[in-house]
Amino acid sequence: MDYKDLIKWERMPTTWCPGCAIGTVFKQTTFALADMGIAQDRLVVVSGIGCSGRAAGYFNVDSVHVTHGRALPVAEGISRANPELKVLVFSGDGDLVGIGGNHLLHASRRDANLAVICINNSIYGMTGGQMAPTTPSGAKTLTSPHGTPYAPLNVQGIITSNRRHWYARTSSFHLVHLQKAIREAVERPGFAFIEVMAFCIENFGRRLGYKSGHEMLAKLKQDYKLNPSPTGLLKDNELGVVKNDGQAG
Amino acid sequence: MKTLVMGNEAVACGALKAGMSFFAAYPITPASEIMHVLADYEPAIAFVHAEDEIASIHMAIGASLAGRKAMTSTSGPGMSLKQEGIGLAHMMEVPLVVVNVQRVGPSTGMPTLAAQGDILQAAHGSHGDYVPLVFYPSSVEECYRITIEAFNAAEESRSPVTLLLDGYLAHLLETVDLDAIEVALKPRTLEPLGRGRRHFTGLLAKDGVPKTKDSAYYREWYARVKAKILGTAAQYRFFDYQKTAGAETLLVAFGITARVLQPLTRDYSLFKPISLFPILENELRAAADEHKSVVVVEMNDGQYRGEIQKVLRREVRGISLLGGRISLNEIRERLGGL
Repeated sequence: MDYKDLIKWERMPTTWCPGCAIGTVFKQTTFALADMGIAQDRLVVVSGIGCSGRAAGYFNVDSVHVTHGRALPVAEGISRANPELKVLVFSGDGDLVGIGGNHLLHASRRDANLAVICINNSIYGMTGGQMAPTTPSGAKTLTSPHGTPYAPLNVQGIITSNRRHWYARTSSFHLVHLQKAIREAVERPGFAFIEVMAFCIENFGRRLGYKSGHEMLAKLKQDYKLNPSPTGLLKDNELGVVKNDGQAG
Repeated sequence: MKTLVMGNEAVACGALKAGMSFFAAYPITPASEIMHVLADYEPAIAFVHAEDEIASIHMAIGASLAGRKAMTSTSGPGMSLKQEGIGLAHMMEVPLVVVNVQRVGPSTGMPTLAAQGDILQAAHGSHGDYVPLVFYPSSVEECYRITIEAFNAAEESRSPVTLLLDGYLAHLLETVDLDAIEVALKPRTLEPLGRGRRHFTGLLAKDGVPKTKDSAYYREWYARVKAKILGTAAQYRFFDYQKTAGAETLLVAFGITARVLQPLTRDYSLFKPISLFPILENELRAAADEHKSVVVVEMNDGQYRGEIQKVLRREVRGISLLGGRISLNEIRERLGGL
């Protein structure tokens, strides 16, 4: 299968800003899915609200773009109603971890059969750049003009608090790693969560002093190191996969 | 065979009879028995005790898109949370049944006492314009039959249909032979996910492409869905009209209130709408025209009275039974004092 078959070309260009990381992750997702040869009639993509939430409409499969934060329950309903379908959730950190946080706790606890790609760009981009639960402390945003007073939410901690879990942290710079994570997440039965460290140049980066999307991309390269076989949890600057098949330990 | 059946149980059995195979909900008084009954049917149906009412309605939406008849049930506090999903189901045109067993509100209110205070919420609870289909049975037998009809109406209209009960009706036990009740079933109308390249979205969209700045298309879209739902509503005009010879006053009541009023039909006529929304304008006007006065008796502060007055454009009086207490003596007394 060609990745081009998985894209709704008539919808191009996308809504995403020049320099945005989401398009890269979207395209890598189509590469991974095409490599796996998943039949389009077996794949459904679900998104919530936000910049990343627009992705569902660009996949050339049956797709659903739901209300803010509710991608996981809609996706779980689809998956339980028809277990033959592979259900991919493609959404952002504000949607999945912020407003949809309760659903994240419970969909992961229930080990719902979903592959989740969470674009973590540390900000509410679509609405103009407000503080997200993932915004680094100290960062100035529209709703934290004196600097974000809280520490970012520990997504890895939430997912791995379930005995059976599969969590990957990757980035929009580390494309081979990203693709591999997507393939593994889609193949794995149960709840597989990929946190893709990404960036928003327009509504976050510029306020932090970055001149271009490329500069932010370079920062991802500088900040994150691959850890192919982590023992225990990933450190804050590490990319890798943390998993447990559910055995007591 | 006749057995003793509870209102909530009849709703669950009606849903199964209608072919419902996906149910998600969150426990809440006085609706929980619907969950309890359906939990026993797993794995023949998919059943989820979800983390909250928002999740449960969204799971039902997903399941309906994926090809299953789906339902969720709750009471007032949960119904407030479900409004988001009701709007989404209207926008994406997803068939669904949402049961609201009413209790006294607002907020946590009086959980174990019944009310009829969610009438206007059932019609206009979610933001924006949409045409609601709302049914409200008043006996255990009707709970069963109208649940099936709610599924039929949902399929025909491709919209979320609200089934109202009240806490007293939900816990009412009556002898009824459910197997003897025959209602023809409507087949599924929505091609399940996984067979196309469709895009379902909460945004205004034309053939899956967002049209978020196209006012002309919004008007065209709204006219289409309005006509579609009104067309379905025309096929589901359920009511009961007991005309009493010589009666000058027409009583209008629904749910448990209509049952309590029954002994008054010696002196009063009684119109019991089962299809609450869209309002049965022609039937109500015909009945009202035969009487000097119209009085709506309801367990809220005049919610349906206001709606009917708007439609009939004549004075409609009301008796409000607040705080969960309903007694025939009180109603009789207050009718005398009008």
